[in-house]
Amino acid sequence: MKTLRTLQGPALTLALLCGLWLIVIVGLLALRPSVFNLGTVTTVLQFSTILALVGLGQALVILAGGAGIDLSVGGAVSLSAILAMLCVKLGLPPVLLPAICILAGALLGALNGWLVNGLALLPFIATLGTFFVYSGAALAVTGGAAQAGVPAWLLVWGRGVVMGIPMPFLTLAIPCFVLAGLVLISTAWGRWIYAMGFNERSAKLVGIPVDRVRFILYCLSGALAGAAGLVSLAWLGSGRPNIGQNLELESLTAAMLGGIVITGGRGGVGGVFAAVLLLVTLKTGLLQLNINTVWQVGIVGALLVFVLLADRLSQRWRS
Amino acid sequence: MSAVRQSANGVFSMNGREWSLLVACLLAIVIFSVASPHYATSGNAATVLRNSVELLLTGLGMTLLLAMGGIDVSIGIVMGLAAIAIGRVLGADGNPALALLVGPLVGALLGCVTATVVVLGRVPAIVGTLGLLGVYRTAVFVLLGGQWLSGLPSSLTNVLATTVLGVPVPALVIAIAYLIIWLALRRTPYGLHLLAIGNSEEKARLSGIPVIKTRFMTFLISGFLTGIAATFYVATYRNVEMTIGSTLALDAIAAVILGGTSILGGKCSLIGTVLGVLLLRILQNGLLLIGVPSLWQPVVTGVLIIGVLGFEAVSNRLPLGLIQRARA
Repeated sequence: MKTLRTLQGPALTLALLCGLWLIVIVGLLALRPSVFNLGTVTTVLQFSTILALVGLGQALVILAGGAGIDLSVGGAVSLSAILAMLCVKLGLPPVLLPAICILAGALLGALNGWLVNGLALLPFIATLGTFFVYSGAALAVTGGAAQAGVPAWLLVWGRGVVMGIPMPFLTLAIPCFVLAGLVLISTAWGRWIYAMGFNERSAKLVGIPVDRVRFILYCLSGALAGAAGLVSLAWLGSGRPNIGQNLELESLTAAMLGGIVITGGRGGVGGVFAAVLLLVTLKTGLLQLNINTVWQVGIVGALLVFVLLADRLSQRWRS
Repeated sequence: MSAVRQSANGVFSMNGREWSLLVACLLAIVIFSVASPHYATSGNAATVLRNSVELLLTGLGMTLLLAMGGIDVSIGIVMGLAAIAIGRVLGADGNPALALLVGPLVGALLGCVTATVVVLGRVPAIVGTLGLLGVYRTAVFVLLGGQWLSGLPSSLTNVLATTVLGVPVPALVIAIAYLIIWLALRRTPYGLHLLAIGNSEEKARLSGIPVIKTRFMTFLISGFLTGIAATFYVATYRNVEMTIGSTLALDAIAAVILGGTSILGGKCSLIGTVLGVLLLRILQNGLLLIGVPSLWQPVVTGVLIIGVLGFEAVSNRLPLGLIQRARA
C-alpha cells in the first residue's frame, strides 16, 4: 500500500489499470474457466487494434487542449473504409487500397482541423457535425450494404497471426504507440503538445506554432481512423458502413481511463494503451458470457462517467 | 454586461436573421411544391406540423442549454425512457391523468441525473452526456426487452388530440412553454444569469452569479420539456420502438443553431429556434417527397450545422463595409 501511495501520475494510472484488468480477468475466470485460451487472446488483440488506433488519435487531440475533442472518429473509420473500397471498385489499382484508406482518413481529419482552426468553431460542435456527416454518408452512399472485394493479399496481412498476436496489432498498433510515446517524451513536438494543452496562451507567447500543431493533430487523428478502417477491411474482408459505430464513445472512454485529462496537457499514451486492452478484455469477456452486446455501450458509457467523476473527486481530496 | 446582446424585446419580434429564416421556409415550400405534386397538400402540411411537436419542445430546452455554453446529446433517449414509463402506466390501467404526470416527472428526474453529473461533477457537458447516452441506450433496450411497446390504449390520445377554443392542445402547450421560457429569459434574473454564463462562466462566477444553481436549473428544465415531448409522442403513435429519439438531439442542436442562438454564449433567440425547427422539418419532409432516401437525413442536418456556423464565422471576420456592400 505504501508504494501505491508514493506512485504518481502515469505510474499510478498504469498500476490502477493493471489492477482493474486483473480483477476483470479473475472475475471472468471465476464465472467461466474456459474463457481464456490463446484464441481469446488473439481475438482481444484483434478487436483492440481498431480501438487502439482511434483511441491514440483521440488522446492526442485531447492532450493538446483548447477543449479539443474528436467526436467524428467513428464516422471517419467507416467513411474512409467505404471510400477506399469504392475507389478500388471504380478502377483504381488495389495496390493503392491502404494508401487511399489512410489518405481519406487524413483528409476527413483535415476538414475537422480546418473547422476548428481556420473557422474557430468549438471542437465539440464541429466534430459532432462532421460525425453525423461522415457516418451518415458512409451509410447513405452504400445504402447500408457491406462492400466486398478486398484483395486477397490484404487479407493475409489482416488475418495473419504470429505467435498468437495478430499481424495488424504487431505491425500497426504497437509501432504507432511506440512512435507516439517517443515523440511525446523526447521531441520538441511532444513538449509543444503538452505545453499548449497545459496553457495555450503562454504556449503562444513563447512562440509555439499552436495552430499548426493543432491542425496536424486533427489530421493525424483522421489518418489513424483511416488506418483503423484499413484494419477492419483487411480483417473482415469487406467494407462495412457501420464499422465505426460507438467508437467516439469507446475512444473517449479509453483516453479518459488511460489518464488523459479532459482539459488537456496531462497524461500519456501508455495509459491509453492499457485502457484499450482493459476495455476490449471486458467487452470480449461479456461476449463470452453470452451477455447481449447492447450491454457493452451502457457499460462503456457508465465507465466514462465514473472515470470523470472519480477524477474530480480525487482532485478535491488532494486539495 | 455590455457583451450580452438581447436579440429582440417583444415576445415575437424578429431581427434580420429570423426574417431570413422565415423567407427560407417559404422559399423551401415553394420549391418543393413545384418539385413534387404530393407536397402542397393540407395532409402534408399537417404531417410537417405534427412531426414538429416534439422537436419544438426539446428545441426550447436545447436553446437554453446552448446559450449557456452547454449541450445535451442524450435528450432523444431521455424522451425514449420517459415514453416507456408513460407506456407502462398507460398499459397498466389506461388512466390518462396519471400518464400525463409520469412523462414530465421522469424527464425532470433524468434532467437531475444529467445535471448532477455535468454540473455538480464538473464534467464537460458533451462528454458527460455522451456517457449517459450510452447508459440510457442500454436501459431502453433492457426495459423494452428487445420488443416494441405497442397497442397502447387510446385514453391519452383522446385527451391530447382535442382542441381548446379551436386551438389544438399541442399548439397550446407549446405556446405556454414558449411564453414561460420567454418571460424567464427576458424578464427575470435567470435569463441574464444564463446569458452571462454562456458568455464566460468564470466571469459570471466572479461577479456573484449563482452559476451552479442556474446551470442545474437549465438541465432540469430541458429534461422536463423532453418529458412533455414524450407524452405527445406516446399520445400520437401509441407505441414505443427501440430506435425512439435517435436523431432528436442532432435535430434540436441544428434547429437552435439555425435559429441564431450562439454557442459562444450571450445570444439566444427563441423565435429563431421555432423557425429553425420548422425549416428543418420542411426540408426533411420535402427531400423525402422528392425522392432523397431518408439515410441522407443526418448528412443534411450535419452539413446544415457546419454550414451555418462556418458562414457565421466567415461573415464575422469580413470587414463590415464588405458585408454592407455585398448586401446592397
